[in-house]
Amino acid sequence: MAPTSVTRAAPAQRPAGGDDERPMLRVKDLHVSYAGALRALHGVCLDVSDGVVAVLGANGAGKSTLLRAISGTLRFAGGSVDSGSVEFDGLRLDRMDPSAVVRAGVVQVPEGRQVFGELTVEENLRAGGLATAPRARRAAREQLYEMFPLLRERAGQPAGLLSGGEQQLLAIARALMAAPRMLLLDEPSLGLAPLMVERIAEVIVAIRRGGTAVVLVEQNATMALEVADTAYVLEVGRVALHGPAAQLAATDQVRDRYLGMGQPTPSPVRSPTPTPPQSTSDRRPDLVVDGLSVRFGGVAALSELSFTVAPGSVHALIGPNGAGKSTCLNVLTGVYRAASGSARYGEADLTRLRPHQIARLGVGRTFQNLALSASATVAQNLLLGRHRLTRAGFLAAGLRTPATRREQAEQARRVAEIAELVDLTDALHTPVAALSYGVRKRVELGRALCAEPSVLLLDEPVAGMTVEETARLAGTLARIRTELGISMVVVEHDMTFVMGLADEVTVLDFGRRIAGGTPAHVQSDPDVIRAYLGSTGRSAP
Amino acid sequence: MTHFFDLLMNGVSLGCIDALIALGFVVVFKATRVVNFAYGSLLLLGAYVVGRYHDRLGFAGAVLLALGVTAAVAVLIGVVLLRRVRLADPGTLAILTLGVDIVLATELTRRIGTDLLTTGDPWGAGVIALGGVHLPQTRAVAALVAVTLVVGFLAVLRFTDWGIALRACAERPSTATLMGIRLSRVAAGTWILAGSLAAVAGLFFTAFPSPGISGTVGQAALGAAVPAAVLGGLDSTTGALVGGLAVGLTATFAAGYQEQLAFLGRGLGGVAAYVVMLLVLLVRPSGLFGKREATRV
Repeated sequence: MAPTSVTRAAPAQRPAGGDDERPMLRVKDLHVSYAGALRALHGVCLDVSDGVVAVLGANGAGKSTLLRAISGTLRFAGGSVDSGSVEFDGLRLDRMDPSAVVRAGVVQVPEGRQVFGELTVEENLRAGGLATAPRARRAAREQLYEMFPLLRERAGQPAGLLSGGEQQLLAIARALMAAPRMLLLDEPSLGLAPLMVERIAEVIVAIRRGGTAVVLVEQNATMALEVADTAYVLEVGRVALHGPAAQLAATDQVRDRYLGMGQPTPSPVRSPTPTPPQSTSDRRPDLVVDGLSVRFGGVAALSELSFTVAPGSVHALIGPNGAGKSTCLNVLTGVYRAASGSARYGEADLTRLRPHQIARLGVGRTFQNLALSASATVAQNLLLGRHRLTRAGFLAAGLRTPATRREQAEQARRVAEIAELVDLTDALHTPVAALSYGVRKRVELGRALCAEPSVLLLDEPVAGMTVEETARLAGTLARIRTELGISMVVVEHDMTFVMGLADEVTVLDFGRRIAGGTPAHVQSDPDVIRAYLGSTGRSAP
Repeated sequence: MTHFFDLLMNGVSLGCIDALIALGFVVVFKATRVVNFAYGSLLLLGAYVVGRYHDRLGFAGAVLLALGVTAAVAVLIGVVLLRRVRLADPGTLAILTLGVDIVLATELTRRIGTDLLTTGDPWGAGVIALGGVHLPQTRAVAALVAVTLVVGFLAVLRFTDWGIALRACAERPSTATLMGIRLSRVAAGTWILAGSLAAVAGLFFTAFPSPGISGTVGQAALGAAVPAAVLGGLDSTTGALVGGLAVGLTATFAAGYQEQLAFLGRGLGGVAAYVVMLLVLLVRPSGLFGKREATRV
């Protein structure tokens, strides 16, 4: 049970330090729905006076919705405030236009960075300051260049060329150009390497020290609770817990669900010897990547990368943002061309094949940015994944010949099986658009499995998931591996997840392999700690 | 050979006018994602106002009035359309502008009636002869004005706050609002700009050697703007300029060499631009400078 100092779902009560003054931001009994039907928030109350306030919660808990309601951008996502209010300094933000909210002093850094890629770094900063007086802007920019020397160095470059972490810093700096009194940060650590997450945490602390209040929505609860003064936990659109960050971090509920402490490794996945595929009698081949190099213009995205994935094993690729991990997956699926080297899978060299030929060989993948059809149901999306296994042609399908009908029934049966494997049976007939992010990630996995791959490439499968969701997915992947005997190549930043799942790890930095071996070996390698894990080795949640 | 240089000079100057037209078309699309089919009638409106009032107000006065009227009508279309149906999808908005175009063009054609309207510009039918190459004075002026306006516009886009705001909106509208940028204001600005460009382009489009102001001018202008904008890339200002020049040159050369090209049939000048557009799209589906629909995988 939670300690008494943590208030459990007591909306009217002030979080901590209960002075009588009106807080800077007060969210009162806020109800929000999307498209008039989907209720996202049910009476959320939240007070922010100063300091850093962290908002934690699973995917679909309503964290982003809350920020949108504050910044007035709900309607861009098709949402609206049904009742309740958002007051900032006596102003009703929920009735204001987003640009007026900015002028009132509340500025949001959107999820996924959203820098203006075609504008230069300096122009991005200028855009951020458009709501302020021109005189104030120059001073603000100089101050930010002091704080982020890197941005000064790259002032003239298009922001699209910055790496993910640099873009996040730019997005924060851009918001600070408006000299906000309160900054709203939406998942600033999403998809960033551990070292970069540390840098973001430092920046948040510096912003707080500068006197700007921060509302921090984070999936990385470890980081969030470290920098926050107070914290709220949202669960299905309601405030489940709130209180001082340190006390909240000590509650069992938060430890189990968001910090992942006190648990063993989130999944009992790795068996000492990878179980050989049982269902197939013929032994599947190794995936051998040999001397693979990729260049974009003059830049080497990958140089001389080699590794081997044994059948039925899990191989993880880790490394900082921009190290070439996604590039590697893109070469293996034929999206990018290799400059030299090969990736042999049995007889075939994947670097010489086109994407659909590679898929036919049994190499499947999931995408980092989900590639699902939003208006179709889960079942339809999964069925789409079986396209290469569907034989009925256009004419036969149109005529509904007996063979076609038999095939359809067969496909539907297999889709149901896979849905069960990835825990989607309940959602089969729901349109993807109505599902939360965490569930969509599982649909993405299911879609890839529907093609009956023998090698599965997973691009950041647990990015943006809570510890609980991550553990669940790790369990699912373990089951897939033992039941289907599929080998996997996983790109992921969540070290707990990687260490629990992988048999072997390859670490990339600037397109080169800097280390490799068993998870334990890699984790203690000084090069890896310096380039990727950071001094404290703070991993994602 | 002089025939060739004649055509080249005329093609370039016509291309400058086409580039102006395409620019007005593109700038609205860039900021609001609206394909503005009412652009042809706006242009006709500008020409009509000049043609109707240059007797009373003098040429300069009439041009100023035309600038004001087209800008006002453009912003009215933009604001009425955008305010009312802001979140409608771009296809719906494009069809709405098509409706506006029909209404406006019909009314203007009615007003023109059987009148023989000319722009009454001071250059008249004067022709510059340069070493055997002939160029109508109006075309020379048009090229000069177009270059000035385009350079000015690009400078505004690059260096002013409004330019930055426009580019930010073009790339990520919802993020731009988080910077305190008012989408509706930026959009209104582009409509005003497009309206003014339409008036200037309308003036030169109907001046000598064109036959004068008639109800078909709008369609003809749109017929030049669409291939120019599409082949350049609908959301690229540079593309509009290059596309405009390409369309102007193509049309002029196709008309100039129509005897040699007679085997392709008559009236090639009218469709040549579209042929070029299709050829470009075959190679580059987003146009020459258009943003490629690149999604990171």
